[in-house]
Amino acid sequence: MRAAIAMLAAALLALTPAGAPPAQAYLMGTTLPQAGGCPALDRWNLSLASPLSRRWSTSLPTAQVTLATVAASGSQAQLTEIEQAITDSFGVWSGVTGTTFNAANHPGMLAPLARVSAANACTNDAETNADGLNTICFNQSSLAFSSGVLAFTRVITADAPGASVGASDAAVFAGQILDADTLFRNDGQAKFATRAALGSAPGAYDLESLLTHELGHWLGFDHSAVWRAVMFPFAPPPGQFLGSRPTAQAPDGPLADDDRTGIRLLYPDPADAVNVGAIRGRVLPANPFALASIPAPGAGEAVTGIFGAHVVAVDSESGAVAAGTLGGWSCNSAASGTVQFDGSFAIERLPVGHNYAIYAEPLTGPAGPADFSEGLNDLCGGAAPACATPAANTNFNPRMQPAGP
Amino acid sequence: MKNGHGLLRMARFAAAVLLAFGGVARATTLLRMSVEEMAHASRAIVRARCVGTSSRWDAGEIWTFASFEVEEAWRGSPAAQITVRLLGGKAGNLTSSVSGVPRFRPGEEVVLFLEPTPRGDYSVVSWQQGTFRIRRETAEGREVVTQDTAAFSTFDPAHRRFETAGIQSMPVEDFRARVASALQAEGAAVEGAAVEGAAR
Repeated sequence: MRAAIAMLAAALLALTPAGAPPAQAYLMGTTLPQAGGCPALDRWNLSLASPLSRRWSTSLPTAQVTLATVAASGSQAQLTEIEQAITDSFGVWSGVTGTTFNAANHPGMLAPLARVSAANACTNDAETNADGLNTICFNQSSLAFSSGVLAFTRVITADAPGASVGASDAAVFAGQILDADTLFRNDGQAKFATRAALGSAPGAYDLESLLTHELGHWLGFDHSAVWRAVMFPFAPPPGQFLGSRPTAQAPDGPLADDDRTGIRLLYPDPADAVNVGAIRGRVLPANPFALASIPAPGAGEAVTGIFGAHVVAVDSESGAVAAGTLGGWSCNSAASGTVQFDGSFAIERLPVGHNYAIYAEPLTGPAGPADFSEGLNDLCGGAAPACATPAANTNFNPRMQPAGP
Repeated sequence: MKNGHGLLRMARFAAAVLLAFGGVARATTLLRMSVEEMAHASRAIVRARCVGTSSRWDAGEIWTFASFEVEEAWRGSPAAQITVRLLGGKAGNLTSSVSGVPRFRPGEEVVLFLEPTPRGDYSVVSWQQGTFRIRRETAEGREVVTQDTAAFSTFDPAHRRFETAGIQSMPVEDFRARVASALQAEGAAVEGAAVEGAAR
């Protein structure tokens, strides 16, 4: 029997202008500043003077064919085909309007995609990399590839201004991403296929689907619990592509609104007058004593709200999920600067002029707390944490509190 | 009415999307593996208690090294205390993050499917998928395990429901018996192959 029945104490069910800084970190990676204070969103310091550098290694495995292409192996056409898949995957994210990452409205934020010919270009054993060069590798050995691990993205962030790694610029703020690399397994345990080759490559994963998701991590995303989102932690099965391919008219076609909302939060366009709405509130148990058995996160502190609830905003007209977030905490830099586990949530950068219904659900569906371990566990820090992050609360039944008139 | 209509459409859409999900975790893309497959891939399977973690640079990356006291070895002959290498962690002013890597806290009890690395420590087979957390159910005091990827689900269109293949709240002894059964079957297969080979 469920121990608690939660309700959305949504003091702000109606859209309000997003004037205040976000109360929490949405579904993003966060970094605790070394100097203390609230968790900072992981993101690049994008500017025309410091565009996001990116490259890929044209070194492909030869002993095992891991990349299926229409073009012949070893040909220039094959490299062009792979490069197009990478370009299109970046283009999905840079096609979102309302963000400074948008290639049309803010050209120059992305450096041209460069090639490097070396194997193991993502990292090497000489401990000279991570290198700040942001590389995609298909022929990379790594101790991290235990059995069953097919591809992953590693992101390095600064926890203090001035930090750098390899060729990266010195960080300007805590949470600044300095290096991101995506590594695809090179020993034949998995095969990846370009769009054109997918239909004729049995057992191969759609390269663009995986890469678009991995690039979301490059940009600072954690996972999303919204099924349709590219950042949902489950990929299409081999041989399949889900959703829409990018087109010239809709380069961000594969994304869900949840993904778009996320990148607008990370890299907001100051000129954007549409995606500036926010819904904030708290998820609270109907009976506060239901939280009594949760260990205190710190001395003199208590868990006072539902932590780890998936809070979702649904467009009332279209029925589409506009965005979701993992609620449950807040942090006020001007006050204590420490995380409070008070059930707070904030869904930012929503389009204005729409009505939304919101609901909260426990993470007991196809995505669970472990799928968000990076985002959920980083709130209190590492070696000498200021608090202990409670476990995600999945022991509640949601009830909606009707919006006021 | 309008809200209800919209939510209905949303539910229909969600169901349509769910029909197609097959269950491979990505960003980090993990190959979906059964307990039997992971047992086969492992060189050691242990029930262990985390006694500490630390992070540092090694082999060009920031790693977290988690130390475990081995309480029971279900496969292999690991030392009484072992170190498990996990990609990501904090070193100096830098934080390295990788989705899908399990994180451990001192005092936590787990069952881990492990394979040795060339550096003399271990890595976890398929990361979160090879990680099983032990907890005691307060009502009866019995121990159960839950896989970090217990939420891995596929949608069964025939019954219109999720089928969860992950291990969730399984009694430890039942889980151990399943692992033992997998290892026994593997042993029988290897033995059979050897006999067949010898017959030639």
